[in-house]
Amino acid sequence: MAAKWIELFTGSLDQKRRYRQNKARIDALPEPYGTVAKAFQRYFVYYGGVVDGETALTMMGDFADLWERAAADGTPVRIIVGDDPVEFAETFAQAYTGKQWIDKERARLVKAIEDAAPGGAG
Amino acid sequence: MWGGPSTLRLSQYSVRLSSWEPTLGKQMTEMLKGTLEGIVLAIVSARPAYGYEITASLREQGFADIAEGTVYALLVRVEQRGLVDVEKVPSEKGPPRKVYSLNDAGREQLEEFWRTWSFLAERIDRLHEGGA
Repeated sequence: MAAKWIELFTGSLDQKRRYRQNKARIDALPEPYGTVAKAFQRYFVYYGGVVDGETALTMMGDFADLWERAAADGTPVRIIVGDDPVEFAETFAQAYTGKQWIDKERARLVKAIEDAAPGGAG
Repeated sequence: MWGGPSTLRLSQYSVRLSSWEPTLGKQMTEMLKGTLEGIVLAIVSARPAYGYEITASLREQGFADIAEGTVYALLVRVEQRGLVDVEKVPSEKGPPRKVYSLNDAGREQLEEFWRTWSFLAERIDRLHEGGA
């Protein structure tokens, strides 16, 4: 349901098509990779805060690559993820520097401080 | 608290080096976060490599248990920042494998990494010798 709702509002037909392709790739992963990949996807929605469709799609495609590769090679999940799934999720998400919802607040903070105390780097 | 005398639980890096004291674990994780990108660029600068070759090379250098996903995330980051060129090579099973090679922007970034590293190492050594 949620995915359908998102699709109504996200980008071009081409982006919709790529979103469905990526989703199908993740849905097709054998276990335990499928469950693991979906758990991370869910976390990215909350943590990543990426609002730019292109970046979100690139991220999703790279993530599908990672798990398809692991599934094809039979690499154990813990070899990929390490001891701390949160740390891994955040390291991965930080690799993408697309537009995020927090950007507006960052700009507002920089401006507020610049107005109060001119001369910063920002 | 610690996995054993020679096992450092360093969240995702989980570096295991028997000569290091377990109490260095947390620091090692934090310090590696800032330097692993430079280390990966240095490895790729020697010759183009697949992701798993880069992980294997890190292990040979003594970074024993770095999670493959962490290396993958770093490679994604340097790719996003345009520091490496990526060539996709078809694979018999699974998605195409990516071969990473350092480009001009990456070489510049690596030069800067070495300069920064030398600066830091020199300053910190000086502090250490001064018994601060």
